[in-house]
Amino acid sequence: MKRNTASSHKKAQKAQDVVLCFMCILCLFVANVRAQRTDVVKIFEQVATLIRDNRLAEAEKELTAVLRVEPDLPVALNFLGTVRAKQSRLVEAESLFLRAARNDKSFTGPRMNLAYLYVLKGTPDKAIPQLQEVLALEPENAEALVMLGDIYLAKNDLQKAEENYLPALNRSLDNAGALFGLAQISRLKGETREAAIYLNRVATLSTDSKSPEFLYKFGLEAMRVNMFDEAKSALERALELKPKEPSYLLGLGIAVLRKGDLFEAEKLFRRLLAMQPNNPQAQLHLGYVLLNQKKYAEARLWLEKSARPGVAIPEVFYYLGLVAQEQNDDARAIVLFEKAVQKLPDYAHARIALGTSYMRLKNYARARQELETAVKLDPEEPTGHYNLALLYARIKEPERAQQEMQIIEKLKAKGAGNGSGVVVLPPKPNP
Amino acid sequence: MFIRVLICLLPLALLFQTRPPVTFEEVPAATSKISWVHDNAHSPDRQLPETVGAGCAFLDYDNDGWMDIYFVNSGPSDFFTPSKPLKNALYHNNHDGTFTDVTDKAGVAGGKFGMGVAAADYDGDGNIDLYVTNYGSNILYRNNGDGTFTDVTDKAGVSAPGWSTCATWFDYDNDAKLDLFVSSFVFYDKSQNPLCTDPTLQRRYYCVPRLFKPQPSRLFHNRGDGTFQDVSRESGIAGSPGKSFGAVATDVNNDGLMDLFVANDTMPNFLFLNKGGGKFEEIGLSAGVAYGEAGRPRSGMGVDAADYDGDGWQDLFVANIDQEFFSLYHNEKELIFTDQPGEIAPATQLLSGWGLKFFDYDNDGDPDLFLVNGHPDDMIESRVPRVRHKEQLLMFENTGRAFKDVSARSGAVFSKMFSGRGMALGDFDNDGDDDVLTSNNGEPPLLLRNQGGNRNNWIGLQLVATKSNPAAVGAVITWQAGTLKRTRLKTSGGSYLSSHDPREILGIGSATKIDSIEIRWPSGKLDKLTNPPLNKYVKVIEGSGLK
Repeated sequence: MKRNTASSHKKAQKAQDVVLCFMCILCLFVANVRAQRTDVVKIFEQVATLIRDNRLAEAEKELTAVLRVEPDLPVALNFLGTVRAKQSRLVEAESLFLRAARNDKSFTGPRMNLAYLYVLKGTPDKAIPQLQEVLALEPENAEALVMLGDIYLAKNDLQKAEENYLPALNRSLDNAGALFGLAQISRLKGETREAAIYLNRVATLSTDSKSPEFLYKFGLEAMRVNMFDEAKSALERALELKPKEPSYLLGLGIAVLRKGDLFEAEKLFRRLLAMQPNNPQAQLHLGYVLLNQKKYAEARLWLEKSARPGVAIPEVFYYLGLVAQEQNDDARAIVLFEKAVQKLPDYAHARIALGTSYMRLKNYARARQELETAVKLDPEEPTGHYNLALLYARIKEPERAQQEMQIIEKLKAKGAGNGSGVVVLPPKPNP
Repeated sequence: MFIRVLICLLPLALLFQTRPPVTFEEVPAATSKISWVHDNAHSPDRQLPETVGAGCAFLDYDNDGWMDIYFVNSGPSDFFTPSKPLKNALYHNNHDGTFTDVTDKAGVAGGKFGMGVAAADYDGDGNIDLYVTNYGSNILYRNNGDGTFTDVTDKAGVSAPGWSTCATWFDYDNDAKLDLFVSSFVFYDKSQNPLCTDPTLQRRYYCVPRLFKPQPSRLFHNRGDGTFQDVSRESGIAGSPGKSFGAVATDVNNDGLMDLFVANDTMPNFLFLNKGGGKFEEIGLSAGVAYGEAGRPRSGMGVDAADYDGDGWQDLFVANIDQEFFSLYHNEKELIFTDQPGEIAPATQLLSGWGLKFFDYDNDGDPDLFLVNGHPDDMIESRVPRVRHKEQLLMFENTGRAFKDVSARSGAVFSKMFSGRGMALGDFDNDGDDDVLTSNNGEPPLLLRNQGGNRNNWIGLQLVATKSNPAAVGAVITWQAGTLKRTRLKTSGGSYLSSHDPREILGIGSATKIDSIEIRWPSGKLDKLTNPPLNKYVKVIEGSGLK
């Protein structure tokens, strides 16, 4: 039931976003209106204002009057489609936009609206021909280019996405949408440095952005390329614009956490849990923060809450295992680490912890097996080498112990491992 | 009837009446007459020695039965010329809560860039001598027994040039003479001070010790004729160069040989296992006390050792810098330790610890823990959020197998901030509970009177060795009072740059009788005390028992 509520809330949110886009397109109508009769122009200007002010009944009354005289007037049909979209009557909206586009083949407004409508309805493939029509009429329409790029990016067609973002950028180097798209493409191609360059430009351009959605999206993307300062700043601004948006709070908490500020992150996750006590991501992250602050009892509480039966991610078992280990309960820790490893056999950190617990229980054979596997899985992780060194030292293989310590020294020189003092890896950065 | 019920309930009410907590009360300078203030020689060049000093000591230099006080100060060096004369200070305890500065008369002013102090009767003449560590070279002051001291450093051969920090007197070869371990910090001189700056602040800050070369610490064997032999190399100590601060002599494997746990800054800590025959083996890695998680060395500063959970094995403690957490290493036997800091870890996450000591602040028989903190970088607040330059003291009460933070209820002084460094432990007012003295970097010291620790019953032992080393380091004291049975190893050193009251206060909680006390001396002799008195100090002579 809650899931339904959340999903309808999400849909309503999306509808609001789309309506905002429709409102932008109103400006286009106003330009077209100039070609019409002066009195109609005035009416349309008034209708545009009414729609913007959400006075939909009055707008509809005006439009009905116009359409009674000229039933196929494209601008009026497009406006009425916008009203219907705002009323969440999407089928009628689609029909009106289609009529408007059919009646004036050179009118790009209804086609853009259709594209937004199809994206909203989750049928982006139907948006593509509409946007292509727009671009046939206006090859440099940056909005259409970026939107098309976004659709291809969502379909993971990086080449086509890039083919649309680049001309948008050629038209204006300050096109934040295109830059943002290109940043995502670079990141997906593994070109983190390029992604960071694009995102830095986006960060500058979006300093005064009033779109919390964009700032949020930017924040998440920035985190993916380790630009935590920029992510934090964008998410803070998103939260200023929409202080009660849980996903922004979670995003900001994660950004702050990734910057290594456990105390501030703790505050944010607690704030989120005050709003949504059952938010499993907030519970998981708060548990993680408390684990790193070595507040084990409370960490365990939140981590156990976050572990919904059957859907717990391997990290939860790993973190709970660490808590058990720190509470000197290695037998329980082993059960939890085993569960993490079962879910994710390549989980090097869980194997290191498992090996460590076996070592503490003096089961050196199993400890060795797990630790040697772990360093093969993640040779860059110093914790594995350190625990292996400890094990070798204890089983009187000092030379091997020294070799492992030398590997740690080399890794340190390379800057491997995290230097934030946070030893445990955080949950996956995507909120 | 009503009155009868009341009378019946009264004892119950008394039973459940909560006792006021033990607190530490600041003794103001106006009361103690201690006017000495540490000068840290703070300079725009941010020379590293400026930020790590200094230590302090409780000692009874005149054998009057009352703890006197010694403070270590900065002084002339290759990078510092004081604008006014600076000196260490010896304060005589006037037995009435006040002290008198007797430094000049005693001849123990130092005159070098001082770091720490270790007090002990190294020559067994019954008088407590002073070893003062410095940046430069160290000083051994022999107590003449008449209120004066003589600098015998050269004759004794313990000057240890370089940068020494903590010193510990102990008898590593059980020959009944006190040997001397001296921690060495980094190789440093005026020309070795690289430019460490913060581009955003455009100011110089203290460089992290990682930038400097480590130095081997020193072990001096006491020949018994007033001279010492440097056995650093042959003992194995010099084989492990470090950046060493705190050191404690303890016996981690109960073999009767005193081992050494040494904290290193930005390097792995050392656990020197005494193998006998004058040899030590460094086993920090295999013991699990050398590194933090992920094999990262931390900034170890203060250390101590005690059997906090009463399992008969010595546990270890080391304080680190902020974000590194302090470690309480539980002894799992077989020379393996696991870090089990419990509540201490979250409480110290943002702190940098120096002076610290396990001691029974409430005389309930188990060791509690006092921590003195302060960040070495005076500009840290502009560089790291939430970390302060001056930091609070912390008091942890032993709950059996763990520690509970009781700072908030332990007195107003715990809400104040200090640049804490050295910390010495001693019962300066002879009231049967341990008081605390801290030495603060560039600030006046802090004398804290224990208020209420003696509400529980106790006995204070002054161990007088006849066959063992004069400080009875390594003696094992076991006492029983009803169901309470405790054992304590007499360790040496611990804390940071500081030296402690050598007497042992044995707490017995609310028990009203001590059933037995046994002292197993390092010589192997066993003294059993029967019917010892309560709530007073007694002398115990090795082989003869109560005096």
